Amino acid sequence: MMKQFLIIFILFSFNSYSQIDYNKLIIGRNTGAKLLADGTTTRVFGFAETLSGAIDVPGPTIYMNEGDSVNIDFWNVSQGAPHTIHLHGLDVDQANDGVPHLSFDVEHMEHGNYRFKAPHAGTYIYHCHVVSPIHVQAGMYGVIIVRPPNGETNLTWQNGESFDREVLLTASEIDTLWHNPTVLEHDHDPLIPMFIPDSYNPQFFIVNGLSDSQLSDINNYPLVGLNETVLMRLVAIGNYGVRYIFPTEVNNRIIASDGRPLPLDEISDTVMVFPGERYESIIQIGTNPLYPVKAEFINLNTNIVESTQIVNLRTSAVGLSENDQIDFVLYPNPSIDGIFHSTKEFNSNYSIQDLTGKVIYKGSESTFDLSKFKKGIYLFKHEAKTKVISIL
Amino acid sequence: MRFLSGLILTLLIINNGYSFNHRLEISTISFELEAGVFCPATIIKGPLNTGQSSDILIWQENDNVTLRIVNFTSENHHIVFDNYADFGLILPGDSSEITMNLSNTGVYRYYDILNSPYNNYHGTSGLMHVKATGDLANYFYWDLKEHKESWNNLIATGGAPVLANYYPDYFTINGNHAPNINSDPVARIVGNVNQEFKLVIMNNGLSIHSLHFHGYHLTVEKDSKNPSYTGRSKDSFGVYPNESLILSCTPDKPGEYPVHDHNLVAVTGGQQYATGMFSTILIAP
Repeated sequence: MMKQFLIIFILFSFNSYSQIDYNKLIIGRNTGAKLLADGTTTRVFGFAETLSGAIDVPGPTIYMNEGDSVNIDFWNVSQGAPHTIHLHGLDVDQANDGVPHLSFDVEHMEHGNYRFKAPHAGTYIYHCHVVSPIHVQAGMYGVIIVRPPNGETNLTWQNGESFDREVLLTASEIDTLWHNPTVLEHDHDPLIPMFIPDSYNPQFFIVNGLSDSQLSDINNYPLVGLNETVLMRLVAIGNYGVRYIFPTEVNNRIIASDGRPLPLDEISDTVMVFPGERYESIIQIGTNPLYPVKAEFINLNTNIVESTQIVNLRTSAVGLSENDQIDFVLYPNPSIDGIFHSTKEFNSNYSIQDLTGKVIYKGSESTFDLSKFKKGIYLFKHEAKTKVISIL
Repeated sequence: MRFLSGLILTLLIINNGYSFNHRLEISTISFELEAGVFCPATIIKGPLNTGQSSDILIWQENDNVTLRIVNFTSENHHIVFDNYADFGLILPGDSSEITMNLSNTGVYRYYDILNSPYNNYHGTSGLMHVKATGDLANYFYWDLKEHKESWNNLIATGGAPVLANYYPDYFTINGNHAPNINSDPVARIVGNVNQEFKLVIMNNGLSIHSLHFHGYHLTVEKDSKNPSYTGRSKDSFGVYPNESLILSCTPDKPGEYPVHDHNLVAVTGGQQYATGMFSTILIAP
């Protein structure tokens, strides 16, 4: 009898695992530290792909193919409250929905497996749904991108549109008061109501985890190619609405929302994304060095824009490559007083050009003063490397 | 049983073009924000409504509705039904009556045009749904609002709080917050697999609400602010103040799935989680 039971058990186990096309380990932690634009750090919760991986906000982007049988193996290594993964927009069944009292939560050092079939190709979110106002604000969110069934990386969906590159912009906010241990280290008895702060007044309005001076650092500009067709994936997961405004010349065309194609494309330089929504749009990059995309953060109670962040899409016209960024850093960038410092001592001349290509400065010192020049964007060129610097 | 009284469903008659007499009263109530916490509010309700929000009025295309509105408050009110009727200034203790021929289907807002937007914030706004002849869909209705105790008290004494400082503390659907929303049969979506339901949403609050549905995508049948959105299939919907939506869904699986505001502050109330604008859809096999 025991032998028969064992055989049945093994068969079930084998059958179950053999149906999984994609298995993904995600680790939940509550000991992250996030560098903010003012140079301070704040404690965050978050997700990582390995135990040694640093927690960042947003968490790692997860990719899968439409129709895949997916298992997300969520391991909670947080020593605090339980966590879950809610698969936002993926329309999974109740058991895998990640809402603690309706499915299950995952205690410290436990694994929870979320099994589902990947839905229509598009942009989705995952986030913790335990005391969600606190845990999402704490940083426990990320994006899921579902590719077409055959895994094509340059096609919106099966029989959809092709593109050369995709850029993901995930917007949220950080109110450091909500990151105080008295808030984060809450009781987690599901029968006891949770205390939350009496106001939400974010100091940092973030896109891809960055704001203000961080976003104006060339190292953080998303790279696009000259004359490329770019798929923009626009996500809002904070408590503010985000109005993305594109330069007119890129001819922004909205093609999908919440993982589904729109019945009719919408041509507009503005895309309004409310908390939990996702939009996809196609833009056409030309030959400019930069294409600034505005992200206006709108307080949903007052309808007032409280912050405008600029995400500069940079093209290869500025002569950068990924390797350029790790050689040396110019700081502060942008500079308010026009004075820049380099982390590198130069043994040959560099030049600084304006965007017309005119050389305005030459030198080899590691600190240089551009205060007599106009506010704006300049190209710093040293040997084969180019960096964009700006004066505010 | 507060939730049950919150729905005054004027009877839907399948046949075409019936005549009705209906009465609404503008009344000041003691609004229960949470257990033991009350504030004044003013709502427009039928005599049988002991709930906390203005009536949800449901009629049928070509009905003739003679509607009398009586002002039981000590303030003037001026009630307008979009597309249908202007009841004019109604003084305290006075009433106004209009017969509406409901020839156009759709979802319409009714509201007080005096002391805007404070009177509406205080509760004098609601929704009317004129259904098409033969429309037998399984409808549910959500009237979204937020509340701030100090605002309700100030407005009740003639004050005008600063809109730029608005930070509501409580969030309701049809005057109820979670978990009570699930006890309101007008709000709580209950159905079966492969059985279509429709949801009518009206935002009568001052805040924009971003509603996220677990488990299912819903299709936009009508959007008063963005008519071109018709046909979009989504799981999250931003709803502006005064905007109405009609959404439809045919569930493909059973289960209990949350629906909530994804401005996650709105799933709290009085600094407590979990409450606020949170409900669940319950779908049987």
